[in-house]
Amino acid sequence: MRLFEDPKIEFINNRKIGYIISGLLVLASFGAIIFKGLNFGIDFRGGTEIVVSFEGTSPNVVEIRNVLSEPLASTPEVKTFGEDVIIRTDSGLEGNALRTAILSTLNQQYSDNPSSIIKLDIVGPRFAEDLRDAAAMSIFFALGIIFVYVLIRFKKWYFSLGAVAALFHDVIITLGIFTLFYEIMPFSLDIDQAIIAAFLTIVGYSLNDTVVVFDRIRENSLIFKTEAYDRMVNRSINNTLSRTVVTSMTTLIAVGVLFLFGGEVLKGLSFALILGVILGTYSSIFVASALLVDLQLKKAEKS
Amino acid sequence: MKQSNGTKVFFIVCFVLLTGYYLSFTVMNWWAERHIASLPENEQVEYRLQNQERLNNLRARKLNFGLDLQGGMYVTLELATHQLIAELARDQADDVFSDVLANAFQTARESGTDVINEFISEFERRDSNARLSRYFHMNTDDLTRASSNDEVRAYLDRQRNAAVDRAVEIIRNRIDRFGVTEPSIVRAGSNRIVVELPGIDDDADRVRNLLRGTARLEFRLMANPNELRSSFNRVAQIFDVREEIAAEDEDGEPEIRVSNELRELILDIGGASVIFGYVNVADTARVNELLNRDAVRRALPSNVELMYSARPERLTQDGPRNFLALLGVRTQIELTGEVITDARPSFDPQTNRPEVSMTMNREGARRWSMITAANIDRPVAIILDDLVYSFPVVRTQITEGRSSISGLGGLSEAEDLVNILLSGALPAPLEILEERTVGATLGEASIRAGFNSAMLGLFLVVIFMVVYYRGGGAIANIALLLNIIFILGILAAFKATLTLPGIAGIVLTIGMAVDANVLIFDRIREEQRAGKSLLAAIDSGYSNAMSAILDANITTFLTAVILFSFGMGPIKGFAVTLMAGIVASLFSAIIITRVIIDWLTRGKNIKVSFG
Repeated sequence: MRLFEDPKIEFINNRKIGYIISGLLVLASFGAIIFKGLNFGIDFRGGTEIVVSFEGTSPNVVEIRNVLSEPLASTPEVKTFGEDVIIRTDSGLEGNALRTAILSTLNQQYSDNPSSIIKLDIVGPRFAEDLRDAAAMSIFFALGIIFVYVLIRFKKWYFSLGAVAALFHDVIITLGIFTLFYEIMPFSLDIDQAIIAAFLTIVGYSLNDTVVVFDRIRENSLIFKTEAYDRMVNRSINNTLSRTVVTSMTTLIAVGVLFLFGGEVLKGLSFALILGVILGTYSSIFVASALLVDLQLKKAEKS
Repeated sequence: MKQSNGTKVFFIVCFVLLTGYYLSFTVMNWWAERHIASLPENEQVEYRLQNQERLNNLRARKLNFGLDLQGGMYVTLELATHQLIAELARDQADDVFSDVLANAFQTARESGTDVINEFISEFERRDSNARLSRYFHMNTDDLTRASSNDEVRAYLDRQRNAAVDRAVEIIRNRIDRFGVTEPSIVRAGSNRIVVELPGIDDDADRVRNLLRGTARLEFRLMANPNELRSSFNRVAQIFDVREEIAAEDEDGEPEIRVSNELRELILDIGGASVIFGYVNVADTARVNELLNRDAVRRALPSNVELMYSARPERLTQDGPRNFLALLGVRTQIELTGEVITDARPSFDPQTNRPEVSMTMNREGARRWSMITAANIDRPVAIILDDLVYSFPVVRTQITEGRSSISGLGGLSEAEDLVNILLSGALPAPLEILEERTVGATLGEASIRAGFNSAMLGLFLVVIFMVVYYRGGGAIANIALLLNIIFILGILAAFKATLTLPGIAGIVLTIGMAVDANVLIFDRIREEQRAGKSLLAAIDSGYSNAMSAILDANITTFLTAVILFSFGMGPIKGFAVTLMAGIVASLFSAIIITRVIIDWLTRGKNIKVSFG
């Protein structure tokens, strides 16, 4: 079976559309991040998260929030966690007292629907700071190493620039979607360690994609020496289109299955990966390669 | 061509054998557990005993499941270095010392630097000639009065090092006594300890106390009831707040209302007693704030301080049980926990409530005998970690060095107390920085979900590959299956832990692993289209696709390495499976499929279709 026998789609000629779409998405994401703010999970904010499982159906989250406000001396965030309920609080109560307070209040309130704690995460403020630093450093390092590696392998700095620009694009838009859809999605879109891991994976995957196209561009630039640069890049994209689409499909199948069947804990992670695969594929063509062409044309103009 | 294939086949066989070896333990362990589960209950224990060594060996070498899959508790502890420093200076500490230490603690906390360094720099900032040795040289042979500040720094570092090691041992003792299968207690850095306890779920509360309890046991005499009583009024007066509520009343004098926050928070019991008053559990923080003033300390008798009782009680018959007694206790420590040689849980013969009976060594028994003789009919406070557990009245002189702690909540509390007393007191308090607990049911659900996703994902990708790449696709699928087994083998060989994000990593790898093959097969198709024969197309397909495959996978590998070095806990597991996945998929895509394809096309002359 063949999907793309010998495609001749005009990507580069239509790159303006790509720029506009990307530009809008990036702007919207920046706007969302600045005005709504990033929603960090307890990994980076500190605090306590408790998942409570009820024997019967879980009561309404707003109700639970009200019931718990008094014993915790502050209003907790209560959301659904699959069929269970997840409670997040910054209350100063320490571990044991907190557990007892929540369980006794809930069991008193819902005496015919006993509950138990199935997951408990406590992150002290100082530790959260450590995790934040580690996350920032890992992203910083990753981008740096990638810039250098691409520079070494492809020799021209605008390859590196195109690659890193595509990565930035993917991560910013994913962050933007996480921020915009924060309350809309039925699962947690908190940014915690797992999401950072997903971002780094997205970076890896997007780069994967970009490098395959770049590799073809480099090969074709040696074969089709007389061809105009933008035509040659377009040809390269078409050459690798079959592979790009197929790999994206298999990866999407895998992470899609993970998202649907992997359990509640992995929902945020797999959602990020799905976005990453889609954006990664898109950005290899409409950001990395497009920029490559424009940078090369500018350079040609100067000389 | 045949020769290099020979080497390749050799490597493949090696890989498969190694993987098989490392994974065999996991398989055998699983099989053994199933066998045991199928036996009737009474035979299970016997079987375990008889085969103990073999089972332990299997358990030690099987693939580790992370705590998020087996259920359990993961805690990061930090030694309170500033309190260790204070403890080392003990009686030599003066106000300057305490001040500097407090500042150093603040600075270190805010900027994330080392308390010891901050402490020394702060001292030197205040007085460049300050000799820190004067605070510590009395308690150790390592320092003299003349030791330089750098030698003091080295001494403090050594002490902290030793303290953390000791803390690890003490925690290990406590956990062993508590009874946890396969705990892991390791040092992390200069002052942190990471504790992993599989299977701990409902007992998380008890374990938390075990991890933090410093087990500082003290015997102290109590304040004189009459003195305490008069000081109560003196202290309370400090908080009188007078306000005018009306300009003038009938007598032409302004009406004044006096309010007193302290009197509202501390319930006065009226008579003379060692009990200062009662405080509601919810108000203790505020009361502490109020009582912290210098004026209060001056109003209390000079050798007395106030301490809370350990267990809340009820003041009225039907009232809530949430009042703590605030007790007047002498500051001098008569006897400490160091003299305790044995402790065991027991029951008070009269009340049948659980308590802990302790035996002291000879020196302790002697001192205890003197203390009890001198204080007949007076109460002696038994204090653990700055909370008064009980203050029994001495009836007779106790010469055998026995004592008991009552006022406990239940038998498990008694057992935990015995545990802590016997394991030893921690050199300095441990603070819980981070704690993650996953219940066993959630762990099982996660395993099931992860496994199902992996199976389903695998199934779908396999079908896709066959449909799209036909014969080549089937070969790629074989490589994919081997891939997964290899990943698990690599994890087992390196004793890495499989976590839930790790399973996600495997699923992701399933999706990405085919990429290398896709690159190769697409290239082969292209070469065929350009007119090359099947064999020639295969050759150039593999060699042309190489550079793209390597570049792409190396970059992903690099990001996985970065994740591994900066990530913690389950994220490390994710990074590890990603790295293992890349290595495995490169191996299977490039080498294994090549060998199979060559064997089919050259050896058997089959025209493999690439779709």
